Amino acid sequence: MAITNLNQFLSDFFIAHKCRLISNQNGVLTIQLTEEMDRALMNRPFYWHYIKKMGQVGEPQTLTLITDQGTSGKQGELIHFGSPRLQQIMEHLKINERFTKAYQNLADVTTNTALHPWLLLNIKVTYVGKLQKDEVFSLGLNLINGMMKSQMMEYLYKINLQNTIPDFCYTISPLIKLKSGYKRIESVIKNYIENQEHKWADESIAKLEEDIELLKLFYINPSEEEEKQMKKEIHEIKTRYEPQINISIINGGIFYLHHL
Amino acid sequence: MKNIKLETDKQFIKELDEKVNREETFSSWDLFSMAYQTELTNISPNFGELHALNYLSHIDFLPHQVETAKQAIQDMNGRAILADEVGLGKTIEAGLILKEYLLRGLVKKILILVPASLVNQWARELNEKFFIPAVPYRKNYQWSQHDILISSIDTAKRSPHREEILDIDYDLILIDEAHKLKNHQTQNYKLVRALKKKYCLLLTATPIQNHLIEIFNLVSILKPGHLGSYDSFIKEYGNDRNKIKQNAMLRKLIQKVMVRNTRKNTSLNQTSRKIETVRVDFSKIENDFYQQLSTSIQPLSTFAKITLLREICSSREACYLSLQKMSKEQETKELIDPLLKEIEGLPHHSKAKKVIELIEHHKDEKVIIFTEYRATQLYLQWYLQQHNITSVPFRGGFKGGKKDWMKQLFKNHAQVLIATEAGGEGINLQFCNIMINYDLPWNPMRLEQRIGRIHRYGQEKDVYIYNFAIKGTVEDHIMSLLYEKINLFQQVIGQLDDILAELDINNLESELYSIYTSSSSHGEAKIKLDNLASIIQNKNNELHNEEQSYGYN
Repeated sequence: MAITNLNQFLSDFFIAHKCRLISNQNGVLTIQLTEEMDRALMNRPFYWHYIKKMGQVGEPQTLTLITDQGTSGKQGELIHFGSPRLQQIMEHLKINERFTKAYQNLADVTTNTALHPWLLLNIKVTYVGKLQKDEVFSLGLNLINGMMKSQMMEYLYKINLQNTIPDFCYTISPLIKLKSGYKRIESVIKNYIENQEHKWADESIAKLEEDIELLKLFYINPSEEEEKQMKKEIHEIKTRYEPQINISIINGGIFYLHHL
Repeated sequence: MKNIKLETDKQFIKELDEKVNREETFSSWDLFSMAYQTELTNISPNFGELHALNYLSHIDFLPHQVETAKQAIQDMNGRAILADEVGLGKTIEAGLILKEYLLRGLVKKILILVPASLVNQWARELNEKFFIPAVPYRKNYQWSQHDILISSIDTAKRSPHREEILDIDYDLILIDEAHKLKNHQTQNYKLVRALKKKYCLLLTATPIQNHLIEIFNLVSILKPGHLGSYDSFIKEYGNDRNKIKQNAMLRKLIQKVMVRNTRKNTSLNQTSRKIETVRVDFSKIENDFYQQLSTSIQPLSTFAKITLLREICSSREACYLSLQKMSKEQETKELIDPLLKEIEGLPHHSKAKKVIELIEHHKDEKVIIFTEYRATQLYLQWYLQQHNITSVPFRGGFKGGKKDWMKQLFKNHAQVLIATEAGGEGINLQFCNIMINYDLPWNPMRLEQRIGRIHRYGQEKDVYIYNFAIKGTVEDHIMSLLYEKINLFQQVIGQLDDILAELDINNLESELYSIYTSSSSHGEAKIKLDNLASIIQNKNNELHNEEQSYGYN
């Protein structure tokens, strides 16, 4: 589910932010920004400060982004994975889109239908030691009956969702509190982590010990000052190798869904 | 599992709970799922791969550069000496490593220490090529406030900077031209040892210059104890730099913390150097003057004599300035004054005419001309202009900003760059592939630096080098008896440097002067030059055979 079509991703982003697409062809996307997006992306706080001081309506800029590297001679910014503009947009998403609440939109419902509350957590597990890697999980928990579902996002992509409650639908109040729901999901993740072998961590610790042993060879009868230096170096070895696992929440929210 | 520290997210659910209770607005489903997609795009799914390559698709990395970055991260765990030969892209390798660590979130606070003249170039490369927001240190900056700072080591070691820097926990320290840290008793060395650092990269093309202990000192910055203690190292290996070639165990140990790529084992060899010696005849009147000069200055010191002769081979102007200086001194005035008069009557220099011819042959191509003399530089600039050839001057003494400006002018607006000093380290001109050595330095390292400006990573075409010499002059001797004989231009001079060190010749230039001083005739000087060339050649063959087993990569 990683981004594959950058042009699509960008136009979705700007449309979701209510910007008008002036044109989009051959990998060249021109957008009329809104004030909000101009402030977020164009880095001209003094302009907006000045305009507001003068009591005027500012004029948001247009932005042309080129996703097709082969396009030449076009005016605009080249954008690709790693480019500062894409980093900026991604950072904006990361900071601002952490929480959501959405309802399943059932086609042709005519009678009163109940929607169950689900807690969704998108979780990143990062393993750091000698080397580093990430894993992502998307877990859902039914806040009525405690049922849990993996790959929740994949399921959610398949159904229709909207941000307001659909006609003829009503929501059931959760029986499980958010915080205890969170604990249940967290313990599943912790369980998963504990049941792994963690060869990487053993290797890291072996390396850590080896390096500290080597370090001791360097100092024969260390003076007080050398003693201090050695302590510093041992600390550095530890920060480099000490195995650590971080569980962080990418984003999450409440979903009201018809039965799964 | 008991050995692993586990951190969990305590903030998220609190915030979600509050948001629900206060009935605040939520993200739309579209944007929410895009944020998730973003994260999936950015994660590093496995320990091994270089994630950064996906983010730097605009750079064409050479295989050895990617391999080096991988090695430094995976096998050396972020503490490595990058010791590629000049021009193979150490900066590129370092940038790739930095980017990888930044993307993986393993480093945040970075300090980059480089020679003062390279600060801006580093900043530009990291920002423009790698999108790494590195800033050059400026007066009144707080060291703690910027995440990625570039500074010279001289600034960093001065109070109060030193104290501030030593207070900071750095995630990564990068040091360019790290051979300057070879002596463990210097302030620079002590500063670097004392820095609090997680990862550390040392860049140098010459990890061992003279003594074996230098490599011990470098390694001890990264991994103290890896080569034992100072005393045990000296005891076991001595201080002979050849040990690294002879002792397989030592070589193996060093390979664990150092990567060295050579031109020979990388694909960079593909663009080759095309060398051509251009022998120019003096016109009759010039030749007469040269003969007159060389006879009438016999009473002068050898140094003065050779200097004047070399100068007249370059330009009337260069020689004139020296003569003028000498004529102010009582004892030489009488000798010099007639020459001054004579020189004024000389026509345009034969070499300058040849330059025009050559540039006109390379009509639409960029050309760099190197000369040893400021006066020649000015003269050439004027002379080219007379022939409607655009040129910009370049000097080592230019400030960073002016260097950049001249480089831009050359790149976008002028056909020719006329440089005096190689600007040594510091200016990369891969977009140009033609070089004229208008006169030759007698120090081969300077020659390699000149060539290195264009024959380096990023050069896509074959490099053409024209070496000018006036027939039958002192210039011609050096060229044909020495440089051509030892194949100076074909082989990378890094190797010559090794050879000279083996022969205990620290400075070829003074060696040459002493040959001329101690010779009573031209014939004798020729024989001595010839001998020198043979010795160098022999040593070269010897080293070349050893190299097979050396190559510490």
